[in-house]
Amino acid sequence: MSRLPPIAGELIDRRHAIEFSFEGRPCSGFRGDTISSALAASGVKVFGRSFKYHRPRGLLSVANHDVNAMVQVHEAQRNVPNVRADVVPVQPGWDVRAVNTRGSLSSDRLAVLNHLSPFLPVGFYYKAFYGKRWFPRWERMFRTLTGLGSVDLQAPRLVTPKRYDFCDVLVIGGGPAGLAAALAAAERGAAVLLVDENQALGGSGLYARGGEAHSAEQTIAMIERLRAHGRIRVMTEAYAAGYYADHWVPLVTRDCMVKVRARSVVIAQGAWEQPAVFRGNDLPGVMLASAAQRLLYRHAVVTARRVAVLTANAHGYAAALDALGHGVGIAAVLDLRASLPGGADAAAAELMRRGVTLQFGVEPIEASAHGGSHISRLDYSYAAGANGSALGTGRKRAQLALDGLWMSVGFAPANALLHQARAQVVWSEALGQFVPHELPAGLYACGKVNGVFGFAERLADGADAGSCAALGLSARGVPPRAPPPPAAECPSHPYPIFAHPKGKEFVDFDEDLQIRDLENACQEGFDSSELLKRFSTIGMGPSQGKHSHMNALRILARVRGQPLEQLGTTTARPMFYPVPLSHLAGRGFTPERRTPLDAEHAARGAVWMPAGNWRRPEYYAVPGRSREQAIAEEVVAVRTRVGLIDVGTLGKIEVHGPDAAEFLDRVYAGRFSNLKVGMTRYALMLDESGVIIDDGVVGRLGPESFYLTTTTGNSATLFREFGRLVTWWGLSLGLVNLTGHFGAFNLAGPAARVVLRQHTALDLSEAAFPYLALRETEVAGARCRILRVGFVGELGYEIHCEAAQAARVWRALSSAGERYALRPFGVEAQRLLRLEKGHVIVGQDTDGLTNALEIDADWALKMDKPFFVGQRSLRILERLPRRAQLVGFALRADAPRIPKECHLVLDKTEIAGRVTSVGLSPTLGRCIGLALVTPKVAAARRLRIRIDGAEVIDAEIVEPPFYDPAGERQRVVDPG
Amino acid sequence: MSAVVVESSMLQFEDCSARPRCGCKGPGAESWLRTQGYRVPAAPNSVVLDDDGVLVARLGSSEFLIEAVNGAAAGAGSVRVRNSRAQLNERAQPRDVYAVARQDSVKRLSGSGLSALLRQICSVDFAPLLAAGYEGGIGGDEQPVLLTSMTGVGVLAWPRRLASGPAVTLWCEPSYAHYFWNTLREVSIGSVR
Repeated sequence: MSRLPPIAGELIDRRHAIEFSFEGRPCSGFRGDTISSALAASGVKVFGRSFKYHRPRGLLSVANHDVNAMVQVHEAQRNVPNVRADVVPVQPGWDVRAVNTRGSLSSDRLAVLNHLSPFLPVGFYYKAFYGKRWFPRWERMFRTLTGLGSVDLQAPRLVTPKRYDFCDVLVIGGGPAGLAAALAAAERGAAVLLVDENQALGGSGLYARGGEAHSAEQTIAMIERLRAHGRIRVMTEAYAAGYYADHWVPLVTRDCMVKVRARSVVIAQGAWEQPAVFRGNDLPGVMLASAAQRLLYRHAVVTARRVAVLTANAHGYAAALDALGHGVGIAAVLDLRASLPGGADAAAAELMRRGVTLQFGVEPIEASAHGGSHISRLDYSYAAGANGSALGTGRKRAQLALDGLWMSVGFAPANALLHQARAQVVWSEALGQFVPHELPAGLYACGKVNGVFGFAERLADGADAGSCAALGLSARGVPPRAPPPPAAECPSHPYPIFAHPKGKEFVDFDEDLQIRDLENACQEGFDSSELLKRFSTIGMGPSQGKHSHMNALRILARVRGQPLEQLGTTTARPMFYPVPLSHLAGRGFTPERRTPLDAEHAARGAVWMPAGNWRRPEYYAVPGRSREQAIAEEVVAVRTRVGLIDVGTLGKIEVHGPDAAEFLDRVYAGRFSNLKVGMTRYALMLDESGVIIDDGVVGRLGPESFYLTTTTGNSATLFREFGRLVTWWGLSLGLVNLTGHFGAFNLAGPAARVVLRQHTALDLSEAAFPYLALRETEVAGARCRILRVGFVGELGYEIHCEAAQAARVWRALSSAGERYALRPFGVEAQRLLRLEKGHVIVGQDTDGLTNALEIDADWALKMDKPFFVGQRSLRILERLPRRAQLVGFALRADAPRIPKECHLVLDKTEIAGRVTSVGLSPTLGRCIGLALVTPKVAAARRLRIRIDGAEVIDAEIVEPPFYDPAGERQRVVDPG
Repeated sequence: MSAVVVESSMLQFEDCSARPRCGCKGPGAESWLRTQGYRVPAAPNSVVLDDDGVLVARLGSSEFLIEAVNGAAAGAGSVRVRNSRAQLNERAQPRDVYAVARQDSVKRLSGSGLSALLRQICSVDFAPLLAAGYEGGIGGDEQPVLLTSMTGVGVLAWPRRLASGPAVTLWCEPSYAHYFWNTLREVSIGSVR
């Protein structure tokens, strides 16, 4: 039985049993168990198969960075791959399966790869793709063999909340140092948020006990004080996924990501225990000593009856005492060091007193599993006799029969967030690890990540960091940190790596990388830490190097014959652990804007389409009519009677001030300083390279006041840009953005004047209100601005008014237009109407490279102005050959098939442009369009367009406008 | 003047869109407001309430929002704001002052669920602003007002502590109103989009 009697401080609730299955086998655990602890308690030894060689694997760290313990979980509605069994609480009814097997975990067909390892050298993956010939074969093979878990394509979309949080001091890590830091900061008056990735606070203070209760009792007492403290909030099962500028830290919880803005941050994330590297170090049953302690004290689980402890520090001795205290036999304590530093310490003495054999100068040779997949024997050599006695000359080989091997040979600081925060770290020979040297303002480190390992010392270091973090927020400034105490011993062995002629000494468990893989990579020239990582893929698996990076650096240092500190480390990028995509995405906020006429459109049967971030009527559905028929009828209504379209989505901006005209002359290519009050003018906007970025209409309200419109999609961007330019140029003017506060609609068609006349006293005669004029007056009792413009090519009035008045005016005009069969028309009809006129839509008929010369917009350019944005580039472009040319085209009326927008224009077999606009003109009875093509093609008489199905059709190049080229429709007489 | 819509026991939305409101901008705006008898906050991003319950918010160095937030529709504050709005919309505007159309959709949010909602929709820490001793009373000191983004929409937020508890008034462009308020309701009840 793996489950022990109750242990003080255990996290499991034995009153609530949980039944689940693993690989189809019934298993049980208790509430508070992780998947790993419940499986271990159920006697499971093999948890998965390794990524490359499909070797059986068991628990290694029980600390959230094992590829060994990643599983697929099937529950009622979900099938979730790559669940981290070490940290995810097991739930009733779960069907848990290993992720990397073909067949089953116990009978994996791909286990044969373990014997093919000599044919899969480092870099094999890259080298396989050198040649084109075998590329498809390799690709198929890799796609078949690789990948962890299976993605459920039917999985429901999970939308998680998005949350922000704030605190004075954020303490990351709830071990002894973090607890002390949180308490100290709170005692200094700071609002503290303490986060820990585990389901309970305490960290190693609760599980690294060394056979006695003192540290655990002190840790528990601190947790109780902390829970009762009014200024400390605690988040468990939450990890800090990254560190961003200004102390932004994303915390990933089970349900969502919380973005925390802290005034200062204390990093107390501890250190990751590191494995020794020797042949067979990946066998199930070989685990980190801290993993065994976690299982023991958190979940009351032991996984072996007789273990050896392979160690190089005091933690291994403490783990041995923990084992002995819970009925686990100790085959031997095997110390890699020549002797205990400073002689036998208390733990070693106690072990010897209890009859445990201690051997020194140990070098593991091979862990093996005779007749099974679980460790049963360890072969090793040693340099000193039992309990440190002299061995005589030479080394001696030995072997132990056992069912577990605990490794405690060193640590790597969990300093990824420190690196992301641009902290400077330096190598400490005394500690055998990197330690913080200079930290950014407001950032503090304490505990093992700061190179402090003793329990009492960690508490003091944490308290100091917490105090400094809190006091540093005051106006008095940051007090100096107390220097870390000198280390009693070096907790990390300098080279816990033992090569074997037959290999299979694993440095990286994620990627099945052995010592020789790294040595070979170095020999091939990939001999810097960054290159070694990329070529060998070390540290690129699920653990992201948490248990492999330090040992890889040690091997690299030895190969290069350089001190480790000269090698540098690889970049520690966010995220610290993998983050579910649902958490990264969070709740989607996609603002949608509606015009004040939205309800009017809905009542008329509008079929909606997005335009920028607005919703607009594409057309109005008519019972018994198809979409195309309805759109065509709307076009005909505008051409023959009158139509009304909502153009409230246009950007609407006022410019006031003595420099208003000067400003417009600079931002637009046209001239507006000579625009008469009460008139409007087309305005074309370019960027510095002469590329068209927007167009609209500018009207003059007064000597120093203008009103302009922009395209729908650009209104917000241009308003911001205008503000920037005003500041940059130091002009005296003010900008008012009316876009959302004003409604606007265009009354267009031969009957527009008579319809409008019914609701305004304004003289609408051609003489009093000519084409391109602007007037301010009342329409249907509402104060309005009316622009006489003609985007759709008919007599038209664009009416602008405050949003609250818009629906009333719209309804009044609609009612007045009933006699003339007025039709509201949508975006699609408007596109056809303007296409008939050959009017360009910026962003549709132009692209990110189209300059004003290429669409023949010379008439809108006033090159004689002293300056406008893009002018200098245009002067250069004028002297260069054109890149493209916008042309009009038409198909025969009986053309059986018509192109679509973005269909390619061909010059023989080469791409020579694209169709930008196309439609079946109800007015002309044939297909017309615009295309952006090469000058060579534009000079021809016909276009060759490749349409769907790779069919190529011919079109005649026709100079636009296709309709009313003389503009006579603007001067139509009123209908009777 | 306003309608209270109780969305839940945790959160109340009170529609304040119909309050008399106007905006002005320009180098002469501040002095014009003073000649109109308004108290004008000295610092950008702050508001003051005068004795008639008229709020004057300074949104920049020379941009202001004026709104009658307390009192009846026919009260002195409301009448003053309407008169100011009419003056601004005259063809002959005050010198160096120009009207800023304020067709905002406005709601006041209050209730015990307010802080939780704000933490899901905005990256600004409202807690100290809602906890501070702004009584929201008449003739008080300047209070902070924030131009920020919530759920992707630019809003003006006026957080304060009323006798009944914390509250925040939000102004947004009317074109965003449907999306913005619905999104806030969905977030507040924990539903998802």
